[in-house]
This record gives sequence, structure tokens and C-alpha cells, in this order.
Amino acid sequence: MFKRFIALEWKQFSRSSYFQKGIAIKILLALGALYFIGMAAFMGVTGYFGIQKFMPDKDPITVVNNFVIYWFLADMVFRYFLQQLPVLNIKPYMVIPIKRSTVIHFLLGKTSVSFFNFLPMFFFLPFSITSLVNGDYLVINVVAWLFSMLFFTLSINYLNFLLNKNNKVFYGILTVLVAAGLLQYYQVYSITEPAGYFFNTIYEKPYAVVIPLLLMVMLYRFNFKFIRKDFYLDGAISKETKEVHTQELTWLNRFGKVAPFLKNDVRMIIRNKRPKQVLFMSFLFLFYGVIFYPQESYQDMPAFLAFASMFVTGGFLMSFGQLVPSWDSEYYKLLMSQNIPYREYLKSKWSLMVVAVVISFILSTPYIYFGWDIFGMIAAGALFNMGLNSFITLYGGVLNQVPMELNVKAKAFSNTQGFNPTQLLIALPKIFGPMLIFYLPYKFINFETGIICLAVSGVLGLAFTNFFLNQIEKVYQKQKYKTIAAFSEKK
Amino acid sequence: MISVSNLSKSYNGVTVLNIESLDIPAGESFGLVGNNGAGKTTFFSLLLDLIQPSSGYIKNKNIIVSESEEWKPFTSSFIDESFLIGYLTAEEYFYFIGDLRGQTKADVDEFLKQYEDFFNDEILQKKKYLRDLSKGNQKKAGIIAALIGKPDVVILDEPFANLDPTTQIRLKKIIKDLDENTGTTILISSHDLIHVTEVCKRIVVLDKGETVKDIQTSQATLEELEAYFNK
Repeated sequence: MFKRFIALEWKQFSRSSYFQKGIAIKILLALGALYFIGMAAFMGVTGYFGIQKFMPDKDPITVVNNFVIYWFLADMVFRYFLQQLPVLNIKPYMVIPIKRSTVIHFLLGKTSVSFFNFLPMFFFLPFSITSLVNGDYLVINVVAWLFSMLFFTLSINYLNFLLNKNNKVFYGILTVLVAAGLLQYYQVYSITEPAGYFFNTIYEKPYAVVIPLLLMVMLYRFNFKFIRKDFYLDGAISKETKEVHTQELTWLNRFGKVAPFLKNDVRMIIRNKRPKQVLFMSFLFLFYGVIFYPQESYQDMPAFLAFASMFVTGGFLMSFGQLVPSWDSEYYKLLMSQNIPYREYLKSKWSLMVVAVVISFILSTPYIYFGWDIFGMIAAGALFNMGLNSFITLYGGVLNQVPMELNVKAKAFSNTQGFNPTQLLIALPKIFGPMLIFYLPYKFINFETGIICLAVSGVLGLAFTNFFLNQIEKVYQKQKYKTIAAFSEKK
Repeated sequence: MISVSNLSKSYNGVTVLNIESLDIPAGESFGLVGNNGAGKTTFFSLLLDLIQPSSGYIKNKNIIVSESEEWKPFTSSFIDESFLIGYLTAEEYFYFIGDLRGQTKADVDEFLKQYEDFFNDEILQKKKYLRDLSKGNQKKAGIIAALIGKPDVVILDEPFANLDPTTQIRLKKIIKDLDENTGTTILISSHDLIHVTEVCKRIVVLDKGETVKDIQTSQATLEELEAYFNK
């Protein structure tokens, strides 16, 4: 039976519309996946020597054990937002003679074949091998430890399934995590120490591998029961309908003509899975500077810092903006035939992006820690984002005519919904624009002038808001029929 | 109100719609029937400027729809579910459409009151997003939303499909009311010959993109249509 399921899955995959899309996208996605695999493998191969070099008095596996809890927690969060649960369309199988348990085993088995499960192994496997070859470890311990890590990873995989499907589990875990985080933060009780102790014990006592194994089996069985119980039309496969309340959002009325659209956009973001995902991703962008600013090597390359500063406040702007008008693809015909001035529609999207930049800027104030130069750059980058980047992004959006399912999570590395090679072209001025605007005056005059130029470019952009919006409106109008046709294509 | 001249639409050389001329006077209730692929939805899409004509044009109150957007303020439509915004509750959707048509929240509330029967307690205060309503209930919400703000032209594609019998009867009453008591021009397409002959004063039959019959509805119309389709 499994063979037939796999055949069907393959057909679903190879006949889906995104598979038939351009080869360029596929290559890009493959490169993206390869990048992460490469990073993990690189860290796995060099990890042992790295730890030995920087912490000569410590044992590498112990160090990894002490920190691995953070990895697992991060893994959990990333999965929750990024791992799309592979839903087997079980409806057709309900009435034909296949055992329900077979279908469920297949469904759960399918989640195990996820990129998220392979990625950690690209680290743990080479790390274990280099440790064994170069260190003084017992084979049995290391092998058992490696399997423990694999079982923990799969446990997270199954836990994620429950987190997504079961609110009780979700809020339960969330409460535990927040509580642990607070305790740690206020230094009442540190969870990382016992966690480190726990993982080290698992390493020291090879038979302890049964703990993660049991955990995994338990979660699997829990999932199985959970799905089995709901294997009815009105159960697991029915769409979850939560009770919802009408939200007036009257405080948005102050935006005048744009208000009705803004209200819808706010509702769209908080009520759909995909935009929520974008919101989470753009929050991560805030930390972009943390990678660049502390590194000595970048201090002499301020153009890169200018680039990073633009990213700090531009996360939402870019990840949300590049998908205008795809966000409204599900009801684009309504918007095009209703009494809607296109300009107000665009302006609402633009306002949302600008507000997001302002909020990101406020949230980025802790960067003052890295000095006023850096913060000045962030401020200038924010102005650039508001005044120029916003328009470039909106302009690029119209080239993107891929319909989007709002309430479906984007799947990591296999989803090309709302992605388009032309966007890469549009991305060039976004990335090199701020670098150039900053770098030239910096090179020929000084640092301050560079910052001022970057800021002024943004202010100028804001001054010409109407002009830019008019131009963009024209492009959108021109593409109208094409966009409508593309959006009404079957997904 | 609406006049069509030399309108045609073809895809890759295949003509799917070809109407030399068609005039729909203001206030008429106009029914469009035809088998699948006859061009009904294509015609409505052209009328709403959702697709571009291959030749000719449609005028809505003397405005060429593909050249100006001035027809939008007085034209309203419900074609399919893509006219609904799935993540809104019904109320939010009605207020949004109201906003677009210059109606305050109170106006919309007042307006919705007259359709309490039609909604049958399944639309308002349901605490559900539109995407979670059944097909029939989605349709109810969409049709009523198309009537908000007293539009001069109302376009409904297959309004009777997916509705339960009671709702179909109530919808017929609503359309007849609209026809008799207001000057609204109503355009309806339908596969249900009985319903369409009942509510429309004039019926045009499309076949393979061409108008083959143009009938002022009378006692004999239903029979005539049945005879035509029973080929």
C-alpha cells in the first residue's frame, strides 16, 4: 500500500504547478538548501577542532551538550513557523478499503522525511566522526549519543505536528517555555545547566539512548491516537473553525480614505498563516545587525554596515512588500471591479510598510550599544527604506503575479508561491542602492556625509511620494488584466 | 444603460464570444442563459473590465468600461467566491463594501435589516470568517453585499446555484422587488430556466458565444426555452 501512496505523492509533486515553473527558481531553492546543508556540514566537520582551539580546557562533546538545548528550542520555533505539515489528502481514502492505520502511518512517516530532520544530521554526523577520529572517546558512547540526537530531532518533528494541530499542547509548551525563559532571565533558576547535565548523562551512559527513543515513540503514538480519533469528515480534515469576533479597528479611521484598506490589511496579517510567517521572519531581520556590527572585519567596510543597517529596519518592508499584490490574489477580482481607486489601495500598502519601518526603528534602539555611528546608520537606513526602498519594493511587486494561498504556510525550500526571478533583479537596487549612496560620499568626503546622504535620499523620496505612487499606479494599471488572469489560475 | 457593439473575445484564435450589438435599457431585468461554455461569464467579465475585449466595446451609462473606471461607483457585482474576502467576518465584509460605496456603518446596519429573512440567521453574528461558511451562505453574503449602496447596475452570475429552496424563493422576491420598486438594471445568468423566466423581463440565449434568442418574457417563454434546449 505504501508503494501506491508514494506513487501518488510523486504524481502530486511532479504535476503541481510550482514544479512546472521555471528551472531558475528550482536551482535557486536547491542552492538555498545546499547552503544550509553546507553550513551545517562545515560546522560539523570543523566544530570539534574549533572548540578545542578556543576552549582548550573543555571537552568538545560536553560543550555541544551544554548548548544543544538552545539548538533544539530554536529548531522547535523554526519548525513551528516554517515547517509545512505535509497533509495527505485523506478524504479519498476514507471510503476505499485501506486500513486507517496504514494511512496514518504513512502520513506520519511522511513528516519524517523533512528537510528539518536531515539538517541536524549534517552537523551531528560529521561532528561525531571527527570527535571519534581525533578524540579519546568510546565508540559506543558516541554512536549512542548520535542516535539520541536523531531521536530528539524526530521527537521535535512529531511534537511540532501536535503543536500545530492541538491548541492545548501549543499553549502548554508555550507556557513552559516562557516560564523557563523568564526564570533564566531573572536568574532565578537556570534551565541550561540541568539541560547540559541531562545531555551529558545521556552521553556518558550509552543505554540512556532509550530515553529519547521512548520519547519519540511516545510522541509518535500520541500523534497516531490524535489523528485516529479524528479520522472523520468532521474531524481532522475539516477545517478548524475558531470562534472569531468582529474587529472594528476604529482607531485606524484617522488614516482617512486609506482606512478601509488598512483595516483589511491588519486583519489579513493577524488572521492568516502566511502573513504571520512573514511577520515572524521580519522580526528576525531586526537581529541582522548583531551579525555584522560586532565583527572587527566589517569595521573597515562601512558599505557593508550600511547594507546591514538597511536590513535591520527593512525586514517587514521587503518580505511583505515584494508580495503586493499577491496578498490580495484570492479576491483580486473583487478589488478590481469594486469602487476602489487603485491609488488608495497602493497607498494603504505603502503606509503599512512605512509604519513597519518606524516600529522596527523604535525596536532597534538597543543598537545604540554599538555606538552612535552605527545607530546613525540605522536611522539613515530607515529613512532610505521609507523614502526609496518602499517604492522600489512596491514597483517590484507588480512583476510578481503568482497567486498565493493566504492561510497556508510557505514550505521551506520547496515553496515558490509568490516568488519570481524578476524579484531578484528588483532586489539589486535595494541592496546596492544604500551601499552606493553611502559609500561614495564616505569615500570622498567622510563618514558623516555618507550617513547624511543616505538619509537625504530617503527624505527626497518621501517628498516625491505622490510622484512615485502615480508612477507605480500606472504600472499596476497596465498589468491589470495579466494580474487578474494569473491570480485566477488554479493553484 | 448598457450597450454592446461589435464585442468579441477570442483566445488563441478561438472565438468564445461574439456579440454584434446588444442594448440593455436602464431598469431592465435581464437574464442570460446558455449551456456551459456559451460565454455568459466571459460576457460578465468583459462588462466588469476583468478581461480585455479582442474587438469592440461595452458602454455602461455611456462610459466605455475598458477605458475609464467611472462606471465603478454605480456598478456592483457578485460573480463567484473570489469576490469574497475569506478572512473577514460577514459584518466586516459588509462594512468594507459599505465603506467603498460611501455608506456609514449605521447605513449598512439599516440596510441589512431588510434581509434578515434572507440571511435566515446564518450570516450575521455567526463569529465565523467568510471562508468557513458553507458555499450557500457565502453566496448569500456575496449577493447582499452586491446590493449595498443602491447601485444602478447589479450583475449576478448564477445567483441561484448552491442556494437551498427557501433561499431561492426569497432571492426571487428580492430581485423582483428590486426590479419593480427601484430603477436598478439587473443582469443575471442562470442555468435554471424556471427561475430566470420568473424574475427577468427579458431573456437572451447565448450559444457558443453568439446571441441566438432575445425574448421579452411572457407566459410562453419557459416552453420556448425548454424546447430550444431540448435539442
